[in-house]
Amino acid sequence: MGNICVIGPRASGKTTYLAALAYKMRTSKNSQKFNIQPLGDDSREIADKAENIICQGASFEPNKIGGMIKTVDDLPLYSFKIECQNSWFKKPESFYLNVRDYPGEIFEKIADRNQSDSVCEEFIDECLRKDIVGCLILMTAWNQAADSFYSQVMNRFIELMDSHDRTNDLRLAVAMSKCERGELWPGRLDPETDLFRLHLPRTRNTLRDGRIPPQNLRFYAISTFGVLRRTDPRPNRTDEQGKLGKASVLREAPRWQPYNIIEPLYWLGQTTKSQGKVK
Amino acid sequence: MGVIYIGDRETGKTSLALELANPRSNYVKVTYPDYESLKKLLYEDNWEKTKATDANQAIYKRTLEIKVQLASTIRQITLDWEDTPGEIWRSSWQSANQSEWKTFTETILQSQGILLIVPPYREILNPGVDPDDFITEEQWCNRFNRWVDFFRHDCPQVRHLVICLNKADLFCDINKEASQLAYIPHGAKLNWQQRHEYVFQRYFRPLRPQIEQINRSVSGLSVRCFITSIYNRALLELPWVYLGSYLSNN
Repeated sequence: MGNICVIGPRASGKTTYLAALAYKMRTSKNSQKFNIQPLGDDSREIADKAENIICQGASFEPNKIGGMIKTVDDLPLYSFKIECQNSWFKKPESFYLNVRDYPGEIFEKIADRNQSDSVCEEFIDECLRKDIVGCLILMTAWNQAADSFYSQVMNRFIELMDSHDRTNDLRLAVAMSKCERGELWPGRLDPETDLFRLHLPRTRNTLRDGRIPPQNLRFYAISTFGVLRRTDPRPNRTDEQGKLGKASVLREAPRWQPYNIIEPLYWLGQTTKSQGKVK
Repeated sequence: MGVIYIGDRETGKTSLALELANPRSNYVKVTYPDYESLKKLLYEDNWEKTKATDANQAIYKRTLEIKVQLASTIRQITLDWEDTPGEIWRSSWQSANQSEWKTFTETILQSQGILLIVPPYREILNPGVDPDDFITEEQWCNRFNRWVDFFRHDCPQVRHLVICLNKADLFCDINKEASQLAYIPHGAKLNWQQRHEYVFQRYFRPLRPQIEQINRSVSGLSVRCFITSIYNRALLELPWVYLGSYLSNN
């Protein structure tokens, strides 16, 4: 069973992404290659939430430390069985993943070296424990200020990986989320070049500066809401005023077709499949 | 978990809760207490109206068990219905009853959702409704400014804030509006965001700056606006279905 952490700034779509995984894959086999099955109460709960909240044109509440969430153990743990059919002639390979959805403020506090927030430290320690096989890092903004901030966070995160002796055996899938946005959608096919090198060059350079083995780092483009149709690539979302600027809700539930949401988890989980060896 | 009703006097808070318990329901059913017991407690037969909530106590705690039929499931949820008398919003009442006011603000801090019930204003009333019973649009906006201060200072952590413009039967064709806004688990005409936009554009536009200010100040989800009436079940249930989508999952 591979354990994966999902981190990213506030409003980067972490919970919505996991809800889409649980719900869309429960209701439709929308990928010929992958089949994902939500397991456990938390996964079923979030799949229900997707139907009752996302499909009804509302958005999730922010996941915040405090209130119900005081320690890592208070965070829901989503379990999935992923099956991959690589070839029609082979039996599908399957493996299990546990995914934890971290509050956005953790990501934002990583960059602050002077922070002495014990709750935040606890979250980071758990995120870098030896039984965590990989991290899915969602980034959502693509302006210069965001690039500078993400770069600082990634720099610090790699230092923390080093201090936890995880530099060589923790996979990082770095994804640009919400790629249904018109400016990003064309760059989805080669995200490292057309999204990260173009829009977040400092962040990409920090990640590729040699401290992390190249085979342990991949860049992805994902879109939880997707676009309306193949021939109508308008985002399947509408924006409204939210706490942190814009909040997005699904535009047309019947056309909900996420893009590339399993691939990063599948790649992260392959470490487990190959018993610790990096493919 | 707690949902709290707030609003000035005579806005219809108690009537809304009582009518919600009416067994003729669509997707929201109060399973405890039953309608008759609640009616006995809250309704004044002689006057043919609900009793005014007594201001001697800041909060009346009553438990309501509500079954909400959501798109994917039916869930039994327990809500602490905390009813407040309209008087407590007067500063004279707050200074005369400081400990009660403190108890109230502490309770509200822990609540997961707030339903603010506001009355209609004079300019939107249907012809034939006596305008003298209602405040003007300007007064309505001024009063709302005090709500903005309250949300910003006393409950910035609120997760769900729902504003219900009540007594919709006095200012619109409730059946026509219900046919647009009604919740149907699969196949409703509008989703939550579209319902909010629809209601906001028609009835809440004078409050645009205030609502934007609340959205910037409180940490939970964006404010959602509804119109409600005890004479239309679909409109009456909408805020509860919306809240139920979130609260039932806890």
